[in-house]
Amino acid sequence: MPKPTISSDWMAGCAGCHMSLLDMDERLLEIAGLADFRATPITDLKEPDKTGVDVGILEGGINNSSNEEVAHRMRSRCTVLVALGDCAVFGGVPALRNFCGADEALRRAYIEAESNDGEGKIPSDPELATMSTVRALHEVVPVDVFVPGCPPDPDVIAYVLTELAQGRMPEVKDERLHWN
Amino acid sequence: MISLTINGQSIQAEPGVSVLQAARQNGIQIPTLCDHPNLTPYGGCRLCVVEVKGLRVPMASCTLPVSQGMVVETETPGLRQSRQVILSLLFSERNHFCPFCQVSGTAVTSDCELQQAAYHQDMTHWPMQPQWNNYAVDTTHPYFILDNNRCILCRRCVRACAEMSGNFTLGVEERGAASVVVADANLPLGQSSCISCGSCVQVCPTGALIERSSAYQGSQSQLTVTQSVCAGCSVGCGINVMTRDGHLVRIEGDWNAPVNHGVLCKQGRFKPAHEQRQRLTTPMIKVDGELRPVSWDEALDAAAARLKGVECAALISPRLPVETLYAFKRLFKDGLHSHNVVSLGGEDAGAEYAAHASLPLEGRLDMLSHADCVLAVGTDLTNTHEVAGFMVKRNLQRGVKLIVIAPQESDFANLAHYVLRPGAGSVADVLDALSCAARGEGSAGGEGFAEGEEAAETLTALLRSTGLEADLVQAAAQALAQAAAPVIVYESDLYASPDVAASLVRLAEQVGALDAGRKGLLSLKGSANSLAAAQLGLDGSLVTNGSKAVYLALGDDELPEYLVRRLQAAPCLVVQAAYASSLTASADVVLPSAIWAEQSGAYLNLEGRLQQANAALPVPAGVSENTAVLQSLAQRLQVALDGDWRAELAVRPSLVTLTLN
Repeated sequence: MPKPTISSDWMAGCAGCHMSLLDMDERLLEIAGLADFRATPITDLKEPDKTGVDVGILEGGINNSSNEEVAHRMRSRCTVLVALGDCAVFGGVPALRNFCGADEALRRAYIEAESNDGEGKIPSDPELATMSTVRALHEVVPVDVFVPGCPPDPDVIAYVLTELAQGRMPEVKDERLHWN
Repeated sequence: MISLTINGQSIQAEPGVSVLQAARQNGIQIPTLCDHPNLTPYGGCRLCVVEVKGLRVPMASCTLPVSQGMVVETETPGLRQSRQVILSLLFSERNHFCPFCQVSGTAVTSDCELQQAAYHQDMTHWPMQPQWNNYAVDTTHPYFILDNNRCILCRRCVRACAEMSGNFTLGVEERGAASVVVADANLPLGQSSCISCGSCVQVCPTGALIERSSAYQGSQSQLTVTQSVCAGCSVGCGINVMTRDGHLVRIEGDWNAPVNHGVLCKQGRFKPAHEQRQRLTTPMIKVDGELRPVSWDEALDAAAARLKGVECAALISPRLPVETLYAFKRLFKDGLHSHNVVSLGGEDAGAEYAAHASLPLEGRLDMLSHADCVLAVGTDLTNTHEVAGFMVKRNLQRGVKLIVIAPQESDFANLAHYVLRPGAGSVADVLDALSCAARGEGSAGGEGFAEGEEAAETLTALLRSTGLEADLVQAAAQALAQAAAPVIVYESDLYASPDVAASLVRLAEQVGALDAGRKGLLSLKGSANSLAAAQLGLDGSLVTNGSKAVYLALGDDELPEYLVRRLQAAPCLVVQAAYASSLTASADVVLPSAIWAEQSGAYLNLEGRLQQANAALPVPAGVSENTAVLQSLAQRLQVALDGDWRAELAVRPSLVTLTLN
C-alpha cells in the first residue's frame, strides 16, 4: 500500500505554524517514514498534486481573492483538510482588521505608519489580489480537522500528523487543545 | 434538610441553597461563568444549565433553589450541546481572539474562564464567527483598563462594585448585544466616581478588566502567591501577594480572610505596585556634611557611637511588625532608658483612656456589616480605613441608617442620612445632645441626664451651643435609639479629650450599643500596628527637645512635613528607612531597611486580632530586615532584646479584646 500523501500551503498567516511544524525536530523523519510530504511552502513542489493528496494542511485565514483560490484548490485536491493554527481556525490576528475595516488598516499601515517617510501610498496595482473581510477557513470551505494554537504546539502537530498518516482521525482535546 | 438527586447521587442540602451550591458542596462540578461564590447569583450566562426531571427546559442551576425530591442531571449530551451553543454565542458577540489577550493560555496557564470553559467543552473552533463590532477601550484609569471588546456581560464587576465596596460606579448601558459596562452615566473611568478598590478587576472572568502594572507579566500559574496582611491601615485586610522571580506583580484580596473576605482598597491593592519612591540600597554616614556609602559594620558602629550614653529620643513607624516594635521598645526604652520612645501617631490608639475605662468597650469589625444604624464620629471612612467604610456603604441600600458627626464635608458624610456639623460647640456637646434626645425617644438605660423638664432644658442648651437644628438631632437620635444593633465608629484621637470619651460611652449606653454583652463601639486606632505599639507603651507624643540624638525607625512609612522639620533640627539623626527622602538626606547615619513585603511579622488590627504577615519578596542586596537592624545595633550597645512580645502585648488594658493566638 502506498504511503499517504500530505500537502500544505499558507494564506493570511505569519508562517509561524509551519515553523512550529518544523519544530517537531526528529519526529519529522518519523512522519516522513509514514507519509509522503508533497507540495509545501518549504519544499520544491509548490502546488498540491492535481491527482490529489490524502491530507491537506492550510495555515492562515482568507483575506483576499488569492487566499480564496488557495483554499478552494487545496479543498478540491485533498481528502482530509486540516485548519492549522488560530488564523485558519478563527481568523486570528489578521482578522482583527475586520473590527476597523480594510481601508483604515491600509491607511494605518501605508500612510500613517511611524516608519513612513511622509509620502505613503496604498498599493493599487491591478495584478494585486482583491482584499476581502478576513475569514476563517471553515467559512470558505468545509474543514475536517481543527488544530487551534498560535502557533499549535509541535507536540500537537506531531500527534495530528501521526494519526492522519496512519489513517486515523485525530481528536484535539484536553492538553492538546489550546487557543493561544 | 432537603433531599435531592444529582447525576444519580442522593444528596442533602440546606433549604434555600441553589442547585449549583448543593452540587459543589457534594463535589459535583457544574461549569459557570457569571457565578462567583462571593457575589449574589445572577443567572446571566446560562452556562450552568441543568436538566430537572419534570421541567420542560434546562434551568440555570445558580438561581434555582433546591426542592424536595428534585432529580437533576448536569452532564447529558443535550446539556453539553447547549453549553457549546451558549459559548459559541458568547464568542460571536465580541473580540475574543485569544492570542494577544493578557489572560489567554493553555488549559494549565489560562486565567480566562471563558477560554477554560471552551477547553472544557472540547471546542476546537467557533461555529459562528464574530460580529466585528468595535468598542472603545477605556484607558483613563490610573490602575486598570476596561476593554468592553473582551466583555461577556456577566456583570460580576457591576455586582462587585455594589456588593463588595458599596460604590455603585459600574453599571450596564444599552440592551441586549449592544450592552456595555460603563462607569456612572458613561463617564471615562478615570473621571468617574470609581474609588479604585479594584474588586471588579479581581472578579473579571476574562481580559475585559486588567491591571496596568501586572498585565502580561505572567499568568496565575507562573506566579508565586504569598498569603499576607496589608500594612496600609489598622483594618488588617488579608491579601495575596503575587510575585514572580522576586518582583511584585500584583496584590489581590484574600477571599478567605476573616476581616475583609476578598475586598481591598486602593492602598492595599494598587499603591504598592505603583511605588515611585527611590529605594535606599546602601548604609551611609554623613562626613563633612555629605552622605557617603559605607559598610554595614561602619554604619552600625557609627550609629551605636552616636546613641551611646546620650539622651536620645526614638520614634518608630507603627506600620512595622510587632516583632520590630518590640525590639525597638526593648532597645530604647528598657535598654537605653531613652526618655521618649514613641510610635508615629501612637497617641491615637486610646491606650491612655483604656487604662481607666471599664473594659473592654469595643467590639469586632464585622459589627459594621451587621449594624442597622452606624454613627461615625470624626471619621471619613471614604478616605482612611476604606474597607471598614465599605462594610457600611454596601449595606446602606438595605436600609441601614448612617449618621455622621464631622466638621468638614466628606464623601462619607455625603452618604449619610443625617450629618451633624458641630459649629462652635464641641463634639462632646453633639454627642450629649444625641444622648439627651435619644432619652426622649424612650431608649432604655443610660445615666447622667435628668428626665422630664430638666432634660429638655439640657437639650435646648446643647442645641444652642452646637448650633444644630432640633429636628435634625431628634431624627438622628431616633434612628439610633430605635436601632437593634447600633454601632458607633470613631477616630481614636477623640479619647484624647476625656469629655468626648465620656460622652461617647454615655451615648453608646443610652442607645443600647453596650446592652447585653454588645460592644457597639469601635475606634480606628490609626495605622496597621498602632494598637500593638500602644500595648507596648510606645504611645506618647514625640519630644525632641533636650535630646542629643534622635533614632527614627521609619521602615517604608512617610512622615508628615512638620515632623520632618522637627527631626531635621535634631543635633544628631539616625534613620532606618527603606526609601530616600529629604529626611534621610539630612540624617547623620542612614540604615537601609526592608519594606513591608520583604519581612514577616505579626500585626494587631483595630479589633485586637493578631495576624501574620509573610515575606513575599527577597530583601534586596545591601538592605537589612528591620528587626535585624535593631538587633545588630543592640549588640553593639550591649542590650539584650529577648523577651515575650505576645505576653507583653496583653499586659496593658485595651479597649478591645485581644486575640493573640
